[in-house]
Amino acid sequence: MNARTLLKSLAMPLALLAIVLFFAIREPAFIGPRNLTQLLIEFSIIATLALGMFMVILTGNIDLSVGSGVGLVGGIAAVFIIKHNLPAPVALGAALLAATLLWTLMGALIVKQRIPSFIITLGGLLIFKGLFWLVIENSTVPVAPGDSDNLYSLLTTYYAPANLGLGLVAALVLFLGWLSWRGRAARLSHKLAVPSAGVAVGKFAASAAGLFSLVIVCNHFRGIPLPLLILGGAAFTVYFLTQHTPFGRYLYAIGGNEEAAVLSGIAVDRVIIGAFALMGVAVALTGFMTTAYSGNSTTTVGDLMELDAIAACVIGGTALKGGRGTVWGVLFGALIMTALLNGMTLLAVSPELKFIARGSVLALAVWMDVRFSRA
Amino acid sequence: MTAPLLEARHLTKKFPGVVALRNVAFALAPGEIHALCGENGAGKSTLIKLLSGIHPHGSYEGELHVEGRVAEFQSVRDAEASGIAVITQEFALIDELSVAENIFLGRAPRKGLRIDWLEMHRRAAALLADFGLDIAPETPVRQLGIGHKQLIEIVRAMDKKSRVLVLDEPTAALTEQEVAVLLDHLRRLRAQGTACIYISHKLDEVFAVCDRITVLRDGSTITTLTTRDATIPLVIKHMVGREITDLFPRKAPDAPGEVRLAVRDLSVAPAKGSPAFLHGISFELRAGEVLGFGGLMGAGRTELLMNLFGAWGHRLGGEVALGGQPFPAPTPRAAIQRGLVLASEDRRRYGLVLHESIGFNLSLSSLPAFTRFAGRIDAPAEHVRNQHFFDAMRIKAPGQTYRAGGLSGGNQQKVVLGKALMTEPAVVMLDEPTRGIDVGAKLEVYELINRLTADGKAVILVSSELPELMGMSDRIIMLHEGGIGGEFTRAEFTQERLLAAAMGHTAAHATAE
Repeated sequence: MNARTLLKSLAMPLALLAIVLFFAIREPAFIGPRNLTQLLIEFSIIATLALGMFMVILTGNIDLSVGSGVGLVGGIAAVFIIKHNLPAPVALGAALLAATLLWTLMGALIVKQRIPSFIITLGGLLIFKGLFWLVIENSTVPVAPGDSDNLYSLLTTYYAPANLGLGLVAALVLFLGWLSWRGRAARLSHKLAVPSAGVAVGKFAASAAGLFSLVIVCNHFRGIPLPLLILGGAAFTVYFLTQHTPFGRYLYAIGGNEEAAVLSGIAVDRVIIGAFALMGVAVALTGFMTTAYSGNSTTTVGDLMELDAIAACVIGGTALKGGRGTVWGVLFGALIMTALLNGMTLLAVSPELKFIARGSVLALAVWMDVRFSRA
Repeated sequence: MTAPLLEARHLTKKFPGVVALRNVAFALAPGEIHALCGENGAGKSTLIKLLSGIHPHGSYEGELHVEGRVAEFQSVRDAEASGIAVITQEFALIDELSVAENIFLGRAPRKGLRIDWLEMHRRAAALLADFGLDIAPETPVRQLGIGHKQLIEIVRAMDKKSRVLVLDEPTAALTEQEVAVLLDHLRRLRAQGTACIYISHKLDEVFAVCDRITVLRDGSTITTLTTRDATIPLVIKHMVGREITDLFPRKAPDAPGEVRLAVRDLSVAPAKGSPAFLHGISFELRAGEVLGFGGLMGAGRTELLMNLFGAWGHRLGGEVALGGQPFPAPTPRAAIQRGLVLASEDRRRYGLVLHESIGFNLSLSSLPAFTRFAGRIDAPAEHVRNQHFFDAMRIKAPGQTYRAGGLSGGNQQKVVLGKALMTEPAVVMLDEPTRGIDVGAKLEVYELINRLTADGKAVILVSSELPELMGMSDRIIMLHEGGIGGEFTRAEFTQERLLAAAMGHTAAHATAE
């Protein structure tokens, strides 16, 4: 490994470390259990959206409409509950369905009418914003009537009890261990190179230790927040789809060389529409969580989240041209974005400066994408 | 002999896991055309990259000398400043700009701050006329075929008044007429003192134009021959390290089987509403048979294959039957499912996802075969199948996880063929399968064609090289301006008849009988 690739692989972890150290020194509460739990909720919200964006970007497309969409879908669910007295699960289900349909429609327009995704989703950004404000009638709609709780409000107020959290993590660790043992056995049976047993056990022990400390920190506050579990499910699904199914291969192939993908017999149109449909699901989940987190659906919910999601992907090494990127990278990018936003809020940085910081990080991330993908 | 214009001494270049060049010596005299010959992976491309500054000084061992002085190129720009211009296999043209803009890219004639368009077009027109090209300088490069693009690149390099012209497979996509024009220009430039390094797999061209030949094999210089004293078999022997007795080992099965593909009166337009480009195409293809398609550039060979595969054009009329069943509105996906595959001519554009691994590319068309419960790909099964084709196609690479874009042209072609064959097709369409690949790899492709037909598969072979077409086909159809110019059985094959049919002289066929 030469110095350049080493620098490239270490740049992001070092950046995260620097961000954490900076905020922790300025405000020690940054790394307290309470704030870390808040940070994890915010991370789960951004990362879920970024995972949807990841699959769209893999195909070489982009989606600028997701921020408005997040507001719209969260608003639809809230209005169903408050103004139409629907039970929360029905309201959420209906809004999820609406989001999936809207994004499938956008995907179909992009591939069938050959309109660049940039334009369609830029239109979507404005249209969804307008629809959103119409739906909530420019007012503030709470996610649950009065002070009561429903499935919607619980999304960000439910915490897994300490023992349940520990149990879940133990099960997850066992599952990860089984997966890596199985993968290793499969490679060995084909006489493929595997890392030495020591390295494999070390890696496993490190991730187990990481997961257990995560749950212990959470348990010092109220336990594992529900959004983190939702993100876990989303991340596993996206990981499985992109790394272990033909659909995922096709995402990479289309982004890598669309003409070759067509001639290889890939139903390129269907795969891109599928990526947008899944984006719709991610928008709905994010919309529910972020609206629940703010307690109400108001006109500013979801503002600029498309940029956070894109930045998370790019910081995590997803190429904007398509064809390159990993789920781990996206999660990592989302963590960097969240740490920045959360830390600035904690330090009561003025909104003006927050905008400037957010924009600078986005520009920096794209610059690095351009610079490193050229090499 | 005069001092070398360009000299390489003891060059050694290592990549992770591979030694690409081993103590290579090479000297280019002023005013000579010097051929570099060798199989894929012999180190020709790497040597060129050192000479042209793509691999900068310090990334290799040994020395480069230009006119006796040590040269330490840090970049392509440094090499160009020393008068070394390289024309590679990948086109460095901008599709959206005009021919004139491409020729004068970065050095457009100016009038004050403005570009002097009139002067640019006047000079471009003169250059094009000088080259015998009937192309308007305003034509967008996008509208040109691959052969013309190559010629424009050569025009551009020649206009830069370079002292050393490095041509990497310049004629791979050119018709014989275009090749003759190019070789004439090289001779003219040689007379004016320009030296040229000429890399080509077409040895007859090498012998037609080159003064000396340096042969590379496995990263080492084997020998430098004076062309006068050499013969084609001798050069081939040095290249492969053994003698190849039969250049076209076609073994046709005793009797062709049933009809696999039947095309009747097909006519196709480039797009809905435009006039027919292909017209009156009828033929039958039987199991075990190799049907060759020839013709001049632009005759419609690639378009015919792409249309049958469902990747080009709008059908105006005619019928196509695949395996006895009608196949009216194909898509590549449906074609592959029904056992019809195409290995495309332009493998970098249509064939491969270059930054992905060999294995990724090999199995890309066959993933449904490995898909298990919940849509999961059975990775071990896929790996085994990939390895089978990796070995069967004799792909030269450290392993199937190696990046496809890092392979030599011949090995990339093997990946494209392997991907097509993994789908277990009944009809295989090969568009220029040996373009830009060396003698040894060509032989492997020919042997592969024999194996395919022995297995009862039907093969369509498109080739611009008449000897190859005649050597490997059981029947040949020559296309002429989108229609059939003549059909020939093996006994009727002569270069003269085929060429006459390609140029529309149907009388040639009549006299053959």
